[in-house]
Amino acid sequence: MSQSRQINVSKNGVPVIAIIALAIVFSAGLFVVGFDQGHIFSLVYGEQAFQDMYLHELTHDMRHAAGFPCH
Amino acid sequence: MKTFLFVIIVIASGTAAGVVQGGMNLIFVEPSLDQAIGIENQHLFAKGEAEDNSEFWIKYDGYRIWQKSGQVLAGAILGASIGSLFGIVFAFSKNSLPGKTTVQKSLILAGIMWLTVYLIPFLKYPGNPPGVGESETVVLRGILYLTFIALSGFGALGFYKLSKKLKTKKLIAVAGYATFIGIAFIVMPQNHDPITLSMDLINSFRMMSAFTVSVYWISLGLFLGFLWNYYKPDKEISSSFH
Repeated sequence: MSQSRQINVSKNGVPVIAIIALAIVFSAGLFVVGFDQGHIFSLVYGEQAFQDMYLHELTHDMRHAAGFPCH
Repeated sequence: MKTFLFVIIVIASGTAAGVVQGGMNLIFVEPSLDQAIGIENQHLFAKGEAEDNSEFWIKYDGYRIWQKSGQVLAGAILGASIGSLFGIVFAFSKNSLPGKTTVQKSLILAGIMWLTVYLIPFLKYPGNPPGVGESETVVLRGILYLTFIALSGFGALGFYKLSKKLKTKKLIAVAGYATFIGIAFIVMPQNHDPITLSMDLINSFRMMSAFTVSVYWISLGLFLGFLWNYYKPDKEISSSFH
């Protein structure tokens, strides 16, 4: 009995679960670095998060450097 | 396709390219940012909103060190984010991209995406250092910028798909996209926020910013190309017995 190994390149086999996972990473990362003004932390800290804007301040320099609108 | 491996190499290459960009920003972009924030501080002193004393500067220096450390962390997050989009597009388009090797294909796609989702939107809505841009318009500017990126990205994809369906030459798709984005460029509203800093500072910031973003796209193309080539997430080995 002999064994043969075959390498198959799948043409249309991009898994849906991978696309969903990567789409979540894309959206969440883009929002955190590019657009958050306290929104994410407001889920825990309420209105205070919009005053502190912790993520905005932490990502501030990259936000400017990557070309996102800021002030 | 090996799902987990695919996701991991996409996120790893995006994160690594983002860390490279963050590191480059510390060298090339931070001097412009420091200069612009320095001018903001002078305005605060002039308006009496802060006092120019040692207490201010100790606090300020500590704050800026913290913010600069965020440059690399934010680079990793943004890198993984944009890299994820790149990975999805690459997985679907790999077989139709020009280039002999995976790395060449990956670099070509990185070039196309750099042009359509970064450079062309940047020409319409160029980035600015701190001190330029009103707080009241930041949401509007964000929406306009994202809309233009989406128009450019989906426009490029749409004209490519159309040319494939109609079996026309790729040059016609390029011309169609150029016309479409040219119209969008004219029709989309301008950013009317006043420029309050010297154009020398703004231009130097924009050049350095465009340089490091371009380094990100090249790194992303190289990292994903090499990792894909090494791990081959789209190849499945099947065994059969005779």
